[in-house]
Amino acid sequence: MRAGPLQSLRRADEIPHPAPKKAHARMASIDTVPRPKKSRPWTSPPAIALVGFTLLAWAALLGPAWMRVIPEAITFPVAQVVGDAINWFARDAKIGGVAFQEMTRGLATLFDYVIDATVVVLAEGLFTGRGLNVTQSVPPLSWLAIGGALVIMGYRFGGRNLALICAVSAGFLVFFGLWENAMVTLASVLVSVILAILLGLALGIWSYRSARIENVTRGVMNVMQTVPIFSYLVPTLLLFGYGPSAALVATVIYALPPMVHNTVLALKSVPTEITECGRMIGCKPRQLLWQVQLPAALGKLAVGMNQSIMMTLNMVIIASMIGAGGLGFDVLSALRKLDIGSGLEAGMGIVALAIILDRLSQAAAHRAAHGTHLKAGQRPLWQLLIAWLIFSTGLALLLTPLQAWPDAWVVSTASFWNAAVTWINREMFDLLEGIRNFALLQVMRPFNDFLGNAPWTLIIGAVAALGYALGGARLALYTTGLALFIVLTGYWGPAMSSVYLITISVSVAIAIGYPIGFWLSSRPRAQEPANFVLDTMQTLPTLVYLLPAVMLFRIGDVSAVIAVILYAIAPAVRYAMIGMAQVPHARLEAAEIAGCTRWQTLIWVRLPAALPTLLIGVNQTIMMAFSMLIIAALVGTKDLGQEVLIALNRSLVGEGIIAGLCVACLALIADGLLKAAAARASSDKKRTAE
Amino acid sequence: MKIKTIATSAAVAAMLAGPALSQAVPESDDTIKIMTGDWTSIGLQGEMMSLILQTVGYNTELVVADDSGRYPGFENGDLHISMETWQTTQLQNLEKSVATGKVLDMGETGLRGVEDWWYPLYMKERCPGLPAWEALKDCAEVFATADTTPNGRYVGGPVSWGDHDEQMVAALDLPFDIVHPGTDAAMFAELKSAYDREAPIVLWVWQPHWVTSVYEGEYVQFPQFELACFEDPAWGPNPDATYDCGKPYGWIKKMAWAGGEEKWPCAYEIVRNYQMDNDTMAALLVEVDLNGRSSTEVATEWLMANDATWKEWASCAM
Amino acid sequence: MTEALRDITPEAEAKPAADLVFECDGIWKVFGATGAEFTHAGGPDMDADALAARGWTAAVRDASFSIARGEVFVVMGLSGSGKSTMVRCMSRLIEPTQGSVLIEGEDLLAASDAELIQIRRRKMGMVFQHFALLPNRDVVGNVGFPLQVQGVPRAEREKRAREMISLVGLEGREDHFPDELSGGQQQRVGIARSLASDPAIWFLDEPFSALDPLIRADLQDELLRLQSQLSKTVVFITHDLDEAIKIADRIAIMDQGRIVQIGTPEDLILRPANEYVARFTNGVPRAKVVRAATIMRPVEGMDLTDALSVHPDDRIADVADILTKSEGVIAVKDSSGAVKGIIDRETFIQVLAGATL
Repeated sequence: MRAGPLQSLRRADEIPHPAPKKAHARMASIDTVPRPKKSRPWTSPPAIALVGFTLLAWAALLGPAWMRVIPEAITFPVAQVVGDAINWFARDAKIGGVAFQEMTRGLATLFDYVIDATVVVLAEGLFTGRGLNVTQSVPPLSWLAIGGALVIMGYRFGGRNLALICAVSAGFLVFFGLWENAMVTLASVLVSVILAILLGLALGIWSYRSARIENVTRGVMNVMQTVPIFSYLVPTLLLFGYGPSAALVATVIYALPPMVHNTVLALKSVPTEITECGRMIGCKPRQLLWQVQLPAALGKLAVGMNQSIMMTLNMVIIASMIGAGGLGFDVLSALRKLDIGSGLEAGMGIVALAIILDRLSQAAAHRAAHGTHLKAGQRPLWQLLIAWLIFSTGLALLLTPLQAWPDAWVVSTASFWNAAVTWINREMFDLLEGIRNFALLQVMRPFNDFLGNAPWTLIIGAVAALGYALGGARLALYTTGLALFIVLTGYWGPAMSSVYLITISVSVAIAIGYPIGFWLSSRPRAQEPANFVLDTMQTLPTLVYLLPAVMLFRIGDVSAVIAVILYAIAPAVRYAMIGMAQVPHARLEAAEIAGCTRWQTLIWVRLPAALPTLLIGVNQTIMMAFSMLIIAALVGTKDLGQEVLIALNRSLVGEGIIAGLCVACLALIADGLLKAAAARASSDKKRTAE
Repeated sequence: MKIKTIATSAAVAAMLAGPALSQAVPESDDTIKIMTGDWTSIGLQGEMMSLILQTVGYNTELVVADDSGRYPGFENGDLHISMETWQTTQLQNLEKSVATGKVLDMGETGLRGVEDWWYPLYMKERCPGLPAWEALKDCAEVFATADTTPNGRYVGGPVSWGDHDEQMVAALDLPFDIVHPGTDAAMFAELKSAYDREAPIVLWVWQPHWVTSVYEGEYVQFPQFELACFEDPAWGPNPDATYDCGKPYGWIKKMAWAGGEEKWPCAYEIVRNYQMDNDTMAALLVEVDLNGRSSTEVATEWLMANDATWKEWASCAM
Repeated sequence: MTEALRDITPEAEAKPAADLVFECDGIWKVFGATGAEFTHAGGPDMDADALAARGWTAAVRDASFSIARGEVFVVMGLSGSGKSTMVRCMSRLIEPTQGSVLIEGEDLLAASDAELIQIRRRKMGMVFQHFALLPNRDVVGNVGFPLQVQGVPRAEREKRAREMISLVGLEGREDHFPDELSGGQQQRVGIARSLASDPAIWFLDEPFSALDPLIRADLQDELLRLQSQLSKTVVFITHDLDEAIKIADRIAIMDQGRIVQIGTPEDLILRPANEYVARFTNGVPRAKVVRAATIMRPVEGMDLTDALSVHPDDRIADVADILTKSEGVIAVKDSSGAVKGIIDRETFIQVLAGATL
């Protein structure tokens, strides 16, 4: 669930806000709304949960051994069965006499064709001859043509500022010699994004129209968002073959959930009046959807589009591991030879692409949602673009540097970064080693040992008790069920290791991120640069900072935790800013009149008001951290992420899926508990306000 | 990347367009899928084979697959040719796969794979007695870090590479903790970090690899591998344990999907004919890994310089 | 309002059936229940407790009324009184749980989906509280949208849209987008759109309550002007009694889902059906509502040739200056000049002063 950088609200919907007024749907007068009963502390859920948990803890510590160590008899080797089933499905299953694999391979051919065509236009041109005899017969669109087109679109959609942003980003790609691979990446990203958006839109509309479908898709999407992509890579490869189309499919699966989620949300948020207006006008269902509801929902749909774009770009590295090429491959190969500077440059190339795509699509969506007209004398955009493409292509044929930026003119800062890393390594290693040893020996190891040795029944009991205290029997059942899945499938040990990594990383990310966010919230001027930094941190491939981390903190958990923190800190900062911004101004003024110091205001006014949002922020930080587990595994952890990685490398389909589902279970437990906590916090707030 | 290739290859096109190609080749227009992987040499050799086959008329495509995870792909016909299968790690896997009848052993490449515990040369001073393995017992503490002390710290390969380091450490009673990274890049990041500071390190290094061309160091001399070491406890210094020896080293073989033999017989012959040696490969790897040139470029250059050699391999197509 | 409409008084209510546009009978809307469940559970006989026990909420309870062609029928109530729900039952935006709705004698509830679409396209227009404009369409696009949906060719629908736009006084803003208009202007677009397909029935759902008071007054006048030209059958929702009085021929007051009284503004004020209505109308200045005809007494053979005169339908407040100028009695004459009655000076001063009658 690595998600939505370049845009401050990943799940804007989850920020608690007052329930929308439904003028005519809620006729119940105030009297029929259940009043909170007078609290009887000894029967309140938290009290029951506490008593229950204490009893269980006593039993777990003193009772029979099976309560402490999971007996083998209750674990089931489902991985093998699942693996066999998927293998059968991928190889032998037939639908109407046609092998399923043949259908997916057919699809793959189709996707390959589309990607190839896009690559030809954007990046490679056409060739004749083969092998050593290959010659280019038609060049691709020149950097001048594409870059200029981006700038023109930027100017039309967002004025001079956006044009400048596009020009700088495109210029970066050209001058640093990243253009051609950036275009290869752009080609596959474009195809994936379009596919993810269309598919997400379709699923979203379907879910919007039927509550039953919505329940199903919501469940599936939640799991899909939290299962690491590596765990379904092998089945994807089986079905779609090695190559760009498998990468495409994996990317689309990964980028789909936010689009579905936001489509449903956007359609639901269309004002009732607008829908009623469409119905009163006499729209047929299809007219209502396409001409009324979707246009009215466009603003919120754009949020989903943005997230899909960002998640697709997050996948660039992984996609290049299975044959998508492009900038991701540049990053990988630079890092493989430890050229961290070049890796950073290629990584920044991905950031530049992300910026272009994000800002252009946002501006275009905004324009479409609010409507704009051509000023006098302005030509339609498509005419301008075609004119430009013809003109610039002609120009590029005359002046070859305009077609392909000459290697000799390529700028590089790689050696500077490499020297910097070496310098830090030489001069500061001892200091960093001290920090590492302290963190590892005094904090991380003891905590890991504690989790590893704690009786499993105790931990499940804690999960159940928390669930009951925060959300009642239903939530308790849900979280316990998820935890038991991990027990029964035999991944309890690695799962605890994951919990340990996540807990440490998230604690640090919150401890650093929240204060920064609080600080930024009162300094509007610092926010824009801060957002840019946060965007960059989330779009820059993690590998780029993972390897320097390894050089300075060695292979092992410390490096893994640092990589996770760096990635997960962005949502922490963002939600702290949002939470603070939500504090009602009147309350701050009241606090000021009452003579509160800044510190008192923070503790007594700001934090309580922001609590629901801050809890959601913790939740998002945890989700981000979970999505990084798999990358952290690259530096050698012993957790679920590593299990997934091993399964991937050994092509163990079943193990990969089951370990991935265990990651999803952990994430969903955290998600369920924290959302319930946030809901409680915001309802408490309302009650005290009344 | 491709632009550069085109520039060089276009210049050479005329030179290569010598002999008329055999009418029979290609026997099939279907794309031959050549495996590439997450280490450089297989990419480079795959690129070479791809260029040769394309030049004589076949359609080829390089596809990425995992070292140990490749076998279903080959048995299935998703992958057709691999230029590298290492005896050191893939011996049993290959045998099993060949036994299915769906995969062919295409013979040795001529490259010798070596992999074992490796240390930078400066460690010799701090641990006198190296490269003999017994020295590790006495100076484990030299290799220790705060979290492993008093044991030494050894950086092994990713867990999925399927080594036997744990068994070996136990069998030889080495006071070492093994750290597994998740990827080779992390291993060499640690090496670079240590080497820049002349800090102690011992890790798993294989050859052919650019590391041995750039960093000075040598392999620890363990009791030399024999198959008996893995199977017979009585063998070796520890009479009660297997794996009391160094890692196996040996051939790097080519392999192929059996179904391709009839489809592209000449291509398969070319693959069988292909030969390479460690020195040449090490030089090429430095070009790719350290000088930052693309595999395609380096492969093209070598083929052009060794025109006669590859044309002899491809005689069935000429 | 036209003279014809003015003549609709309580006595005139019993019009021939052919002139009734709406006949609503026993409408119930119970949220949470299907029609069958509701009927099975006792239907109209259920009281509030019985409904609450099942977790149902009755938004509209047993509403029956009819509306004549050309009438301005205002549904008034506080928020949560069920007025919106009831009006939406009349267009089937919300499906009534029970009851019947006849539009020009046709059973609306029996219409198929396709028929319903046709009925709405041909007969209904609606103006919404928050305008409900499509943000991605300019003014012409919004006003022409109902016609576009019907498949009217572009040129024709734009011509019609421009007519409507000039009717509501927005010439020159045809290519503006909703974002670029003030609230009042946006609602003018909403009005123009609701009239684009020339519907017979015009629903207005609190059309002016989102606007500031000055604009609201302007648009109320605008509405009266349009209605005097167009003579639609108007169903107007509001929570503002002053607004209701200003524009209504008849007002239906709703409380907790029930219609507690239907009548002319005068009826409500002079003859409130219960305490609730009385409290509601308490603050309304009598003089603004009461017509001359209401407080006149019969002529007793006086010579009234020199007396100042007013029309029977004139409201007292509107003719206050005439009345204050007069020395003795004031004649009440209809349009033809026939004397209908007289008003004493004292009586009218009492009314002006707010006495209950």
